[in-house]
Amino acid sequence: MTAGTETAQEKSSGGALLRVSSDKIGRLMDLVGELSLSVSETINSPELHDLDLIGFEASAHRLSMIVREVQDAATELRLVPVGEVFRRLKRMVRELERETGKKIDLIIDGEDTAIDKLVADRLYDPLLHVVRNSIDHGIEMPDDRTAAGKPAKGALTLSASQIGSEVRIQVIDDGRGLNRAKILGKARERGLFGPREEPDPATLWKVIFQPGFSTAEAVTTLSGRGVGMDVLNSTMKDLRGRIAVESEDGQGTTVSLHIPLSLAFIDCIILRLGSNLFCVPVEDVAEITKPDTDDIIGISAQNGSEMLRLRDHMIPICRLDTFYRRISPSEKPLREKVFIVFETSSGRIAVPVDEVLDRQQVVMKNLTGALANVRASWGCALLASGEVALVLDCERLASGAGQ
Amino acid sequence: MKDAAHAEDTNAQAQGAEAIAADRENLDDMYLTFAIGEEHYGVSITMVTEIVGLQKIMSVPDVPHYIKGVINLRGKVIPLMDVRLRFGMEEKPYDDRTVVIVLQVNNAPIGMIVDGVSEVLDIPPSQIDPTSGFDSKSENIVSGIGRIGERVAILLDIGVLVSSADIALPSMTH
Repeated sequence: MTAGTETAQEKSSGGALLRVSSDKIGRLMDLVGELSLSVSETINSPELHDLDLIGFEASAHRLSMIVREVQDAATELRLVPVGEVFRRLKRMVRELERETGKKIDLIIDGEDTAIDKLVADRLYDPLLHVVRNSIDHGIEMPDDRTAAGKPAKGALTLSASQIGSEVRIQVIDDGRGLNRAKILGKARERGLFGPREEPDPATLWKVIFQPGFSTAEAVTTLSGRGVGMDVLNSTMKDLRGRIAVESEDGQGTTVSLHIPLSLAFIDCIILRLGSNLFCVPVEDVAEITKPDTDDIIGISAQNGSEMLRLRDHMIPICRLDTFYRRISPSEKPLREKVFIVFETSSGRIAVPVDEVLDRQQVVMKNLTGALANVRASWGCALLASGEVALVLDCERLASGAGQ
Repeated sequence: MKDAAHAEDTNAQAQGAEAIAADRENLDDMYLTFAIGEEHYGVSITMVTEIVGLQKIMSVPDVPHYIKGVINLRGKVIPLMDVRLRFGMEEKPYDDRTVVIVLQVNNAPIGMIVDGVSEVLDIPPSQIDPTSGFDSKSENIVSGIGRIGERVAILLDIGVLVSSADIALPSMTH
């Protein structure tokens, strides 16, 4: 056994009736994944075509339904209530109260929300940084709060809820809120925005997650060293999650983490471009459209970039065959393509593909070895047909980041 | 392998002489040999997980030109390297002798597409000549030349083979 699986074994959740090592469950998950693939391979076997099979369709359908249920049940095995993470944070909040002299009312909501054990294990550190940030920079000293007409005790809410196939975890404080002038100044200093650019709040608040970004005047032992938010950022990337920040001057700040419920299976839309197969998580797709020719606008003045006009909005077009190196060329001209519009934190992008094939629950495999350098991808998905598709990471595709 | 009794006189450094240690030692000396054109190559058998026939390759973007794509091997995604392309040799259409040697290197699987596999050979260190003389800018992909009677097998350093490093091209003379 490797050291990694041993430590994972030790941290088995409390409150459970049965302690099962996580590598046993991992093995079961792998097997269920393979089972589900073999079943669809068998059912979709080309040798079955043209055969007159009485009742096969019905049994095949039943088998697929059962496999789907087994898959769900196996996924559930790994789910633990998020309350455990919250309880650890509670102790930390008490400690921070003592250290800072601030008074905090901690409100916990939705602690029964289920979350993948692998996610729960990695969530504590980044959440701790968000909580520290809220207490250190957000919530004011009791005297300042009274002067501002607020209750002397600051309110800090940890809340979790399931929304569709995502879990949303929020850290809400009623402190002084983020300082737009200070953050914008610092962001301009670092060249993140132009001197005359006025980004909208949601875009601006995101910069606080940039590596090394801190506006705190004094570096304390708790936060302000600019490393915390970076931890949050990289963990969220690993977990395929998103971060959203809302802040109202003088009213407080809300940091929301959206994390997919399961890391193993993803509900995806399968796309084809030339001979390449891609898939995208369903929740990332805003719209699928087949535009008129005059809705595709080329801008030679901007390195030949292209825009898609969709109901009076201009959306930049991101061609996968330009973004990726060594991709087989597509046979269709742009005007015959289907456009997938993705909602990302850096705005919408439109990705042209030859064909939208299917919607499937896919098993995802990490990119390792020779595939480790593939950009803008979460991993490889095994499709029911036995084929392999690249799972697109729309965020990184939109930001055009190299790695 | 049943070679515990097959003691080599030259195997002076075989310490301990315990059956397991001896087995291990022998495995380390075993090489799977395969053909690329007219040349014979060998890789340590300890890295090899299986040998499979060629199946449908699905292309993947953003990989070096010698990675032809991936296959789905019973639920595992295995990238395939065309060893000819990796060596800077001419591409050759795949035929019914073409096979894939699946290796496990640094916890990641990789398949090597080769012209054909030959056999597993026992080549003790005393029968391996070191190589030298390639240009120093490239990493040396050849760990040694094994002599088996009249025949010669070029032994490959798998770590260098699967890395993205520029490699020293093996000599095409034979």
